[in-house]
Amino acid sequence: MKLKGSYIAVVAAAAIVIAFPAFLGAYPLNVARSVMTYMALAISWDMLLRSGQISFGIAGLFGLGSYASALAVLRGGMNPFASVLFAAAFAALVAFALGFAILRLRAMYFSITTLALMEIFRIVMQNLHDFSGGPEGVVLPKIIFDGYSPALYWLCLGGLFLTIGVSWYFEKSKMHLALTAIRNDETSARSNGVNIFKYLLIAFVATSALQGMMGAIQVQSYGFTTPDTAFDANFLMLPMAMALLGGIHSTIGPMAGAVLLGIASEWLKLKIPYGHLVVYGVIIILVILFMPQGLFGLARKAMRNRRKAGANNE
Amino acid sequence: MSKLETVGLTKSFSGLVAVKDVSFHMDEGEILGIIGPNGAGKTTFIHLVSGILMPTSGSITFKGRDITYAPAHVRSRIGIARTYQLIHPLENLKVIENVMVGAVFSKDKSLKAARKSAEAICAELELDGLNRDTTQLSILEIKKMEIARALANEPEVLFLDEVMAGLNSDETKQVIATVQRIARERKMAVGVVEHVMGVIRELTERVIVLEAGELIAEGPYETVSKDPRVVEAYLGGAA
Ligand SMILES: Nc1ncnc2c1ncn2[C@@H]1O[C@H](COP(=O)(O)OP(=O)(O)OP(=O)(O)O)[C@@H](O)[C@H]1O
Ligand SMILES: [Mg+2]
Repeated sequence: MKLKGSYIAVVAAAAIVIAFPAFLGAYPLNVARSVMTYMALAISWDMLLRSGQISFGIAGLFGLGSYASALAVLRGGMNPFASVLFAAAFAALVAFALGFAILRLRAMYFSITTLALMEIFRIVMQNLHDFSGGPEGVVLPKIIFDGYSPALYWLCLGGLFLTIGVSWYFEKSKMHLALTAIRNDETSARSNGVNIFKYLLIAFVATSALQGMMGAIQVQSYGFTTPDTAFDANFLMLPMAMALLGGIHSTIGPMAGAVLLGIASEWLKLKIPYGHLVVYGVIIILVILFMPQGLFGLARKAMRNRRKAGANNE
Repeated sequence: MSKLETVGLTKSFSGLVAVKDVSFHMDEGEILGIIGPNGAGKTTFIHLVSGILMPTSGSITFKGRDITYAPAHVRSRIGIARTYQLIHPLENLKVIENVMVGAVFSKDKSLKAARKSAEAICAELELDGLNRDTTQLSILEIKKMEIARALANEPEVLFLDEVMAGLNSDETKQVIATVQRIARERKMAVGVVEHVMGVIRELTERVIVLEAGELIAEGPYETVSKDPRVVEAYLGGAA
């Protein structure tokens, strides 16, 4: 009964967001695309975090996907749609190769290495003048769907839906047991048959593919990118802040955080064009210090307390 | 028939030899006591056999297969399970999920099948409230959960490293007796590390004694406990 209710709610919510272009003009659809992109990044960051690994590399894989897609179209004459899939596969392949080296690292060593990789990707793109356009970046001959904003919106929504779907699968399948066991206690995980490296690699490759895919969708929708746009620290800080604010280790938490902060960030960008990153930094710090479970964690706790109080009254 | 065998197993930690030249075997379906004073190397020995630590020298074979340097998850998949002296709950998983981990990853069961077998094992150990968080469990319940998780691996050889430390000896006996019954049904060999000699005497068929990393005696408890070396090294020291 309860399951059926939530199933209907999910379908209804999906129908509403699919129908958005019927009510919204080009500007709000643009904002929605930006929120959805950040949301997908927040969810994918969280998916790896469920194993305890904190990646600072999401902007790197996002940027890598942007460039893979743009260059495939520009230099290889690839169809723009195909280039989105190509970018996802390329990011996955890079993650797979790097994974063998960096997934042996833990905690801060893993985080710092992923941050360094992101910087390396950016510097490479900045310096491959002939191939990548150097610091000026690349301009595509045309924007996908000729820039028709409802279509761009649906493309981005498609990327988000796929991300949510994979994250949901991570929550409901044995990936959930594997990643949580690894996060809680690697010794215990190992002696109960969990191949830690295998599951970390699956999570790292899958989330990198999603991040690369979102980067590709972004570049095809704007028609240009530069090293500074593609590897913008925004694509790291904002998704992290969103996931933390909404509640980590779940799909719904990062989604809620993305809606709240995504809308707030559009406003902040206008108010303090150069200082908004600071605000995300402050949010990250405050949430970690005072609300480590995020908004959904608080809600869950409140509900449990209420239930407990109810049980005591009976 | 011998299931698990070590030859000259040795582990040194930068100078300190925690396990020294231990050759031992464990047969199908037997309950083996592993005793020795504090710091004798019992836990280190189990770490070596289960793949948590890699030996400095010597070899380990399981059902004729050399597993000396096999990773821990491979050993649990082929049939060696263990519990830990210090508890290792997975605190972000429910009790039932904690137990399911063993069945899902060691036996490649579907979540549904793993849940079913986890429930059955918990019922045998009289552990209920399976949808609780592990933080809500008593110490006895956590220990039972960890035994259940090890059993969910459906091992052929199981090590219990002072599972019952901190509990009274009645609880200890009850839990180990349950494991013993399950072991008989499944023809599983069990290695029991325990400081309470009453438990060892009543429940084990054979005992090995470690002292300062060396295997100094082996045999039924009644014989071993009269061995002068054991009396001196272990019982003498304790009394
Ligand atoms: N990781 C390690 N590094 C250095 N020394 C260690 C390490 N692990 C164990 N030791 C040492 O090895 C020796 C054997 O320890 P071990 O824990 O195996 O003994 P034990 O027989 O299980 O003792 P207890 O009955 O107290 O549990 C001890 O001297 C211990 O200090
Ligand atoms: Mg010990």
